[in-house]
Amino acid sequence: MNKDKIFKLAKGFRGRAKNCIRIARERVEKALQYSYRDRRDKKRDMRSLWIERINAGTRLHGVNYGNFMHGLMKENIQLNRKVLSELAMHEPYSFKALVNVSCTAFPGNKAVPKKEGLSSIL
Amino acid sequence: MATTIPTSAFIATPLRCSTGRSSAIWVQKAQFSASSSSLGVSLSLKRPSLRLVSVRCETNGAGMPVIPAEERWMYEESEINGPDIWNKTWYPKAADHVNTEKTWYIVDASDKILGRMASTIANYIRGKNLATYTPSVDMGAYVIVINAEKVAVSGQKRSQKLYRRHSGRPGGMKIETFDQLQKRIPERIVEHAVRGMLPKGRLGRTLFTHLKVYKGSEHPHQAQKPIPLPIRDKRIQFVKK
Repeated sequence: MNKDKIFKLAKGFRGRAKNCIRIARERVEKALQYSYRDRRDKKRDMRSLWIERINAGTRLHGVNYGNFMHGLMKENIQLNRKVLSELAMHEPYSFKALVNVSCTAFPGNKAVPKKEGLSSIL
Repeated sequence: MATTIPTSAFIATPLRCSTGRSSAIWVQKAQFSASSSSLGVSLSLKRPSLRLVSVRCETNGAGMPVIPAEERWMYEESEINGPDIWNKTWYPKAADHVNTEKTWYIVDASDKILGRMASTIANYIRGKNLATYTPSVDMGAYVIVINAEKVAVSGQKRSQKLYRRHSGRPGGMKIETFDQLQKRIPERIVEHAVRGMLPKGRLGRTLFTHLKVYKGSEHPHQAQKPIPLPIRDKRIQFVKK
C-alpha cells in the first residue's frame, strides 16, 4: 500500500504514528490485524452482552438466566438472545409473560419443602 | 383549482417536523398561497393576523411524519420508520445515564458479613441488576452505607485479616489487622472491600465515587431520598455462635 493509503488509515493515532511513515506503517498493520480479530470477537462480545442483560432482566422476576433459557428451550421458543435482551429492556410486560412461560415449563431448582410425617406418603 | 400544485411540493424540503417548527410553518404558508391563488383573491389579507393556527406536520400514528411513496427513496430508513430497535443492540444515550436521575440506595452495615454485602453493593453500583446494563457506561445507582464500624466478619478474620499498604519506598510496607483498621478508619474497610469488586480502570474509579460510606447512622444525603438496598443473599446476617 502506498503512503497516502497508510496515512489515511492512520488518522487518529497517537503521536508519530499518524505522521511518520515508518511508525505509521507498523501501527496500521497492527490496527488491521486487530480489526480482523475483533470482527470475530464482536460477535462473541455482543452475545455475552445480551446474555448479561437477559440475566439482569430475569433476576428482576426471581429467575436466573440458566433456568429461564432451559424453560424456553423446553417450550421450543426460538427467540434469540438479541431479541430477548431488547424485549427485556423495551417491552417489560411481554418479557414477564415469557418468564412466566419459562417458569411453567421448568420451575427451576427451587428446593421442594420437606413434607413432615404422614403427608410425605401423600 | 386553476393552479394545481401537487401536494408533494409542500414537503419537498427535508422533513424535520420533530426537530424544528420552521419547516412546518413553511408548509402552512405554501398551502395558504395555493388556496388564495386558485381563488384569484388574496385571502391572507382578510384573515385576522392574531388568529392562532395550529402548526402541525402530518404524522402517522407513531408520531413520525408521513412521507409519500414517491419520496421514500430520498430518506434513510431511520427517518421513514423511526430508529430500528430490533436489529441494533441498544446503546444508552447521554440522557439515559444522567447522574441526577439515578436511584440512591442505603444499606445498614451493622452485623452484615463484609464480603457478601460488598458484593451486592458492587452489583448495584455497576448496574448489573438492570436490564439496560452496559459495561462501558455508568448505568448504576448510588449506594450509601451507614454504621460502617459495625460490619462483621466470620471466623478469626477480625484479628487475622490483614490490610496492607505500601508507601512506595523500600521497607515502606504497613500492615494492619481488621480490628486495628476498624478502630482507626472504619469506612476504609467497606471501601476497600467494594473497590476490590468494582472494575479497575477509569470507569471503575468513577463508579467507586458513587459509594458513600459513613461511620455512624447519620448521612447527609436525605435529599436524595435513598431506598433500602434489596439484598437477596440469605447468609449475609452475621450469626454469633
